[in-house]
Amino acid sequence: MSVILILILASLSVAVAFLISFIWAVRSGQYEDTCTPALRILPDDAAEKNSASGSKPKSSNS
Amino acid sequence: MVTVCFHCGEPCAGDAFAQDGKPFCCLGCQTVFHLLQENGLGQFYELNAAPGTRIRATTVAARYAFLDDPVVREKLLDYADDQRARVTLRLPAIHCVACVWLLENLFKLHPGIGRSVVNFTRREATITFAPDRIKLGELAALLASIGYEPELTCAETEAPRPSLVRKKQWLQIGLAAFAFGNIMLMSVPVYLGLDRFNGPWFRVLAGWLSLAMALPVVTYSASDFWRSAWWSLRQRRLTLDVPIALGLAAIYGQSFFEVLAHRGPGYCDSLTGLILFLLCGRVFQQKTHERLIFDRDYKGFFPLAVIRKTPAGEESVPISRLQPGDRLVLRHGELLPADAKLVGGDAWLDYSFVTGEAEPVRCAPGSHLYAGGRQIGGRIEVETVRPVVQSRLAALWDNEAFRKRRDDDLDSLTNRYSRRFTKLVIGLALAAAVFWLFHDAAKALPVFTAVLIVACPCALALAAPLTHGTAQRVLARLNLFLKNARVIERLAQVDTIVLDKTGTLTTADASGVAFISAEGGVRKADLSVEERQWIGSLARHSTHPNSIRIAKSLAVAPRPVSGFQEISGGGIAGEVAGHEIRLGSMAWLEKCGVSGRNRSNPEGSPSAATTLPVGSHTGIAIDGVWRGGFQLENALRPEVEKLVARLGSRFELALLSGDNEREAARFRALFGERATLRFNRSPADKLEFIRELQHGGRRVMMVGDGLNDAGALRQADVGVAVVESLGAFSPASDVILDALQLPRLAEVLAFSRQAARVVRLGFVISALYNLAGLSIAAAGLLAPMVCAVLMPLSSATVLAFACGMTAWSGRRIFALSKPLGASTSPARLREPAVKWIEGA
Amino acid sequence: MNTNVETFKYDNRIVRAFAMATIVWGVVGMSVGLLAAVQLFFPDANLNLPFITFGRIRPLHTNAVIFAFVGNGMFTGIYYSLQRLCKARMFSDFLSWFNFWGWQLIIVSAALTLPLGFTTSKEYAELEWPIDIAITVVWVAFAVNLFGTLVKRREQHMYVAIWFYIATVVTIAVLHIVNSMEMPWSALKSYSMYAGVQDALVQWWYGHNAVAFFLTTPYLGLMYYFLPKAANRPVFSYRLSIIHFWALIFLYIWAGPHHLLYTALPDWAQSLGMLFSLMLIAPSWGGMLNGLLTLRGAWDKVRQDPMLKFMVVAVTAYGMATLEGPALSIKSVNSLSHYTDWTIAHAHTGALGWNGFLTFSMLYWLFPQLYRTKLWSVKLANYHFWISLLGMMFYIVPIYVAGVTEGLMWKQFTKDGFLQYPNFLETIVQVVPMFRLRALGGTLYILGTLLMAYNLYRTAKSGQFEPETVAQAAPLASHAPASGKIKFHRLLEGKPLFFTVLSIVAILVGGIVEIIPMYLIKENVPTIASVKPYTPLEVMGRDIYIREGCLGCHSQMIRPFRSETERYGEYSKSGEYVYDHPFLWASERKGPDLAREGGRYPDGWHFNHMDDPRSTSPGSIMPRYSWLLTQPLDTNSLPARLKALRKVGVPYPDGYENGPAQKDLAAQASRVVQNLKQGAVTAESDREIIALIAYLQRLGTDIKPAPAPAPATSTFE
Repeated sequence: MSVILILILASLSVAVAFLISFIWAVRSGQYEDTCTPALRILPDDAAEKNSASGSKPKSSNS
Repeated sequence: MVTVCFHCGEPCAGDAFAQDGKPFCCLGCQTVFHLLQENGLGQFYELNAAPGTRIRATTVAARYAFLDDPVVREKLLDYADDQRARVTLRLPAIHCVACVWLLENLFKLHPGIGRSVVNFTRREATITFAPDRIKLGELAALLASIGYEPELTCAETEAPRPSLVRKKQWLQIGLAAFAFGNIMLMSVPVYLGLDRFNGPWFRVLAGWLSLAMALPVVTYSASDFWRSAWWSLRQRRLTLDVPIALGLAAIYGQSFFEVLAHRGPGYCDSLTGLILFLLCGRVFQQKTHERLIFDRDYKGFFPLAVIRKTPAGEESVPISRLQPGDRLVLRHGELLPADAKLVGGDAWLDYSFVTGEAEPVRCAPGSHLYAGGRQIGGRIEVETVRPVVQSRLAALWDNEAFRKRRDDDLDSLTNRYSRRFTKLVIGLALAAAVFWLFHDAAKALPVFTAVLIVACPCALALAAPLTHGTAQRVLARLNLFLKNARVIERLAQVDTIVLDKTGTLTTADASGVAFISAEGGVRKADLSVEERQWIGSLARHSTHPNSIRIAKSLAVAPRPVSGFQEISGGGIAGEVAGHEIRLGSMAWLEKCGVSGRNRSNPEGSPSAATTLPVGSHTGIAIDGVWRGGFQLENALRPEVEKLVARLGSRFELALLSGDNEREAARFRALFGERATLRFNRSPADKLEFIRELQHGGRRVMMVGDGLNDAGALRQADVGVAVVESLGAFSPASDVILDALQLPRLAEVLAFSRQAARVVRLGFVISALYNLAGLSIAAAGLLAPMVCAVLMPLSSATVLAFACGMTAWSGRRIFALSKPLGASTSPARLREPAVKWIEGA
Repeated sequence: MNTNVETFKYDNRIVRAFAMATIVWGVVGMSVGLLAAVQLFFPDANLNLPFITFGRIRPLHTNAVIFAFVGNGMFTGIYYSLQRLCKARMFSDFLSWFNFWGWQLIIVSAALTLPLGFTTSKEYAELEWPIDIAITVVWVAFAVNLFGTLVKRREQHMYVAIWFYIATVVTIAVLHIVNSMEMPWSALKSYSMYAGVQDALVQWWYGHNAVAFFLTTPYLGLMYYFLPKAANRPVFSYRLSIIHFWALIFLYIWAGPHHLLYTALPDWAQSLGMLFSLMLIAPSWGGMLNGLLTLRGAWDKVRQDPMLKFMVVAVTAYGMATLEGPALSIKSVNSLSHYTDWTIAHAHTGALGWNGFLTFSMLYWLFPQLYRTKLWSVKLANYHFWISLLGMMFYIVPIYVAGVTEGLMWKQFTKDGFLQYPNFLETIVQVVPMFRLRALGGTLYILGTLLMAYNLYRTAKSGQFEPETVAQAAPLASHAPASGKIKFHRLLEGKPLFFTVLSIVAILVGGIVEIIPMYLIKENVPTIASVKPYTPLEVMGRDIYIREGCLGCHSQMIRPFRSETERYGEYSKSGEYVYDHPFLWASERKGPDLAREGGRYPDGWHFNHMDDPRSTSPGSIMPRYSWLLTQPLDTNSLPARLKALRKVGVPYPDGYENGPAQKDLAAQASRVVQNLKQGAVTAESDREIIALIAYLQRLGTDIKPAPAPAPATSTFE
């Protein structure tokens, strides 16, 4: 069953990679603010161009 | 149907201001709209309906000039080099997606501005800018001009930045979760008998890998437990962390030997899982309300700078640099930062916040003015007599009550329980060990460790945090915010309640406004609809508190006003719909030659007004004819009677007021004979009063709002600060309570007692599990599998019970879970944005 | 002009390209599925053409739907959202287009090779080695493009969706590479490196995680981006979504292996199985609730907006599927559900509901955006919704019924202790009506998809495509120094860190020192002396078995249950499979298990049965394989095959393939021809049918059926 060794090592290395990225994320302050990012994604950059010509009503999802 | 401003959503006076067919309530709003359109920021108005905030006065850049003073600048900036600077500003006006978007696109408004990042929860924006192209002052002015006036008080400059603590917790939990999951990955096959099939090496590999992964969890994730266990041992106090640490050590040691002896992968999965759960519990308990600041002193109430008059002219200067003898200029609504002597202008100082006196005081030139007073009316000049820190107000903070630190939780329910618990466990372990020594010596040590392992009070340690965490969340939904979870336990123990009067029980808002017609007596010949509209429209234009209250109480669709003028210390006048309306003090109206012909006083002098009852009142004249007056008194908050009655039935009550005895009778009636009522109390007196009660062995809760209560709030076992709006300044306290929720106080206390009960029951449940485990362990039958099932199971049960029970009793006690009525808090002005946030 | 900010353009062309591919391949993949479904109650629907026979197009269907439809859908969403979340154009337009054309090329080659019978037979990994390499290359290109974009992003915070994308990229790469280890023996054919049980372990570790990380995580990312956009309100709890991700990553990964093990689960551990399963449900349901709660207070919107309707159903389906998955892995359930259509129903709850509906939802939102217009017809979209929903119901419900029926009938004993339905055919005939209903459901679903295609086409026509969207943002560098700097030693606090690292090293070294010797002692997989490698002719036959996709309907794994040993004979031992490259356990039974087929029927029976199954077993739904009778056996490639097999560890003597092999083959072939003569069947010895018969007659004959208690020794999904 040597293969299970391969599987475990593969799974583990993936897991460790993610652990490292997790540590990076926390340390670089990714999760300092866990509220604003959710708001930030809502506005569309796309709408900019036609906003110059006053705020015309847009489709519900813009 | 009233037309509302396209920018700020407030009712518009006619269509005086309009652009691209959109109505605006004032020039300010229209200007902002125009500005945004020009800079391609029109999307602002698509993200939310009327997302703006009303622009009261057009901003004068000079007002923020003081920010460019090196000292202040250096204090405010997070980072600065010659071509780039970064500042974090508190912008209470932030309230919705549109705000976030606008502020993060600020660079479109000024080429000097670069990246800006909003933190919604903290109502802050971090802005990077090029100092050589835009000065800090200009930046602040720009923000103010589009409706996001930065909140700049002395406290802001000392506001705590997000600490590393939170990061560390995330890391500890993440590490534990990682280890837990991946150790499972290897121990599950072993449990499920797969290793039979993989060959002996697998079992060993699994064991060693588990040990390796568990190690950082034990050393790093669990470091707090080791530390506090060690600490409490040194203190000779058995806190719950002692048995936990013992358990952890036992588990890891046991696992290590089992792996070494090729007896399976040990208990690492249980170990990591246990630590994971404990950490999660802790985090859950630390519900932080980032927008609220629980320990501010008077500095938080003071402005960052004031205007100083010098021979050269007027300059704004940070109050930290005020010298005795400085000439200061105070405009309407501005605050006096230091004790001073009045030099010029007629001063109406409102001390309600610092002393509790309800009425503004008229001060004669030369009289001594105290720090914290707020000028109402015209512009005055004063000369400071003492530096800020030595003012009578600041002196309060020298009291030792402010020096001793509390919130050590040695006598928390958990720890009181754990003392007995720990002794019991160790006793049991020894007993079992001794027993086996005589029957089967080989088993003695394993059993000893086994007992310590199963006795590791994971579930027990979770009971309190989970309950308190849930409780905090329930209360937060009622706009009642706790400084930390321990407060709940202290709330549950309260037996005496001390209430402040002004601003706490009473309020200065529309409810206290009554119209008294010139015919004498209330409610006769009431104002006609038109009259109400005229007066309301006029009052809207003034910033004088009385005018604002009157305008609110009339609540009418505004009509355009022409020729508006405000005479400081006198009143306001203007023409509405062709009628000349005057609103002001009797004396001033007389001066204006108001005539009155009506039955009650034929000679038609307004002196009829003298028959009006006490309390400040404002006279009304329409077209020079005396019409009557508004009586403004500090009305009781709604339902206060009911509240006092309910509290009185269970608690010792007391009323402390800085105000004079004018209303003594009224409150005696309210509080009944038993209660203590004290008037003319200085802040220090209040503190002292609380301390005496405590010496009498009482657990005191102080409910107050102003700086004058700060000492008492700090001294009391639980200090509750009542605020009109969540953004607003509140003195140091354990609880911040939205004024509208005051009537709920009785329920809150009941709820906290309920929570304490839940915690105790949680202990019982986890004790039962421990008992089950112990009997297995003492019999020497403990297998990793048993642990792996028992540990999560017990934790899950406690979790379900603590959270479920608390939430349920919360729902039961506060019949409805949403706040009473609507409040003035900006947080609730715009529902959608806030719903989202509360969700988070 | 403001020099602190940069102006840049989002690339919409690539998004449109993937979107269109999604629609096209979606229709194709579903139609192939329909064709396969029809053959289940009307076998002659294959028009007696090998290329469109069930066994060959089933893998085509699964691959087309998973990698073409969902794959392109995933790329569509990622390429759209990633640019906007990072406030940056994709790292390299070249890589973007390389990714696009490379992926389409892979799909086309799959569509060509699979019908031609070039398959590895490993589910969701049927594509042969050249395509596997191509997949790796394209995937790496995609990874570079994604990480490159992250590096040059202008938004400090990485939105949770991005994390889900990263998880997909990394994990799929590892899974694909580990599972695709194979030994080529021709330009288009290869043998798996692993044999039997090991192959099974790897395959299902891949299989489970492929579902988790190709069909689930990227779509969760899309959900976290497009659901808030559609509802125009932020996700219910962003903090929860972060926890959702990391819990998934840290706790869910180990689900893969356990997924294979349950049938080996001792009864006493079932409660434990439940417990673990519950822990698996938690993260998934956290995500589902987070999605649904986002819409709380916006249900009025849901009523009007078809896109939200799709989204709601998708998220709900996700919840259902993730609840069912762990349930299926509980022994008692699994023993009933496994090999039945229940598994198929489970898969389609996910595919039709979660992936399908979420893709539709995304496309309906995307096209108006890309073309700066409104959806051409909301009404039509609503029709699509209801039709597809109906189709889904018509598909899933009957298949569940079928699955349970099969499971129960296979296990049904008479009171005297005999099988109630000894003839497998009876059980299949029972569920054929369900198959008809299922086909109807599928048709409806495709109809809906076509409606969408038309609707989106009209939308595109009505609007003006915006190839690039201009945006402005300040570069990240200008934000330096990033808030909250920590020294690393601060992070893990000096000494403890040092100590920890040292001890970890020590522990690992100690462990390795201990393990190596044990690892060197020969593996204790119960090898059985009597088990021998396949003869040359059997090898040829086995490859035909694989080519025709027989394992689409026939398993080769008898589980240690009485109901199975009664029906098929002695339960399978892991030792029997040591020479199986690849393993052929299969995961579905539309026909009886073949693990002990050897010697059950005379050669002649097999000959006629292949020519026309209904002649030997009336009512059978097996297609005719008459072409096997005529096609000549390609013996030239025999040496290559045997060499490859030896390389992966089958002990053929050196040089065997050069001469002896061909002789043995001829000899065995003529023996088969002899047997056929006795069965009054005349056949030439150089026809494919001969090899296939030889293989079938070999199956399970290596060990003498010895009565033994049934300890669970074998592992399989």
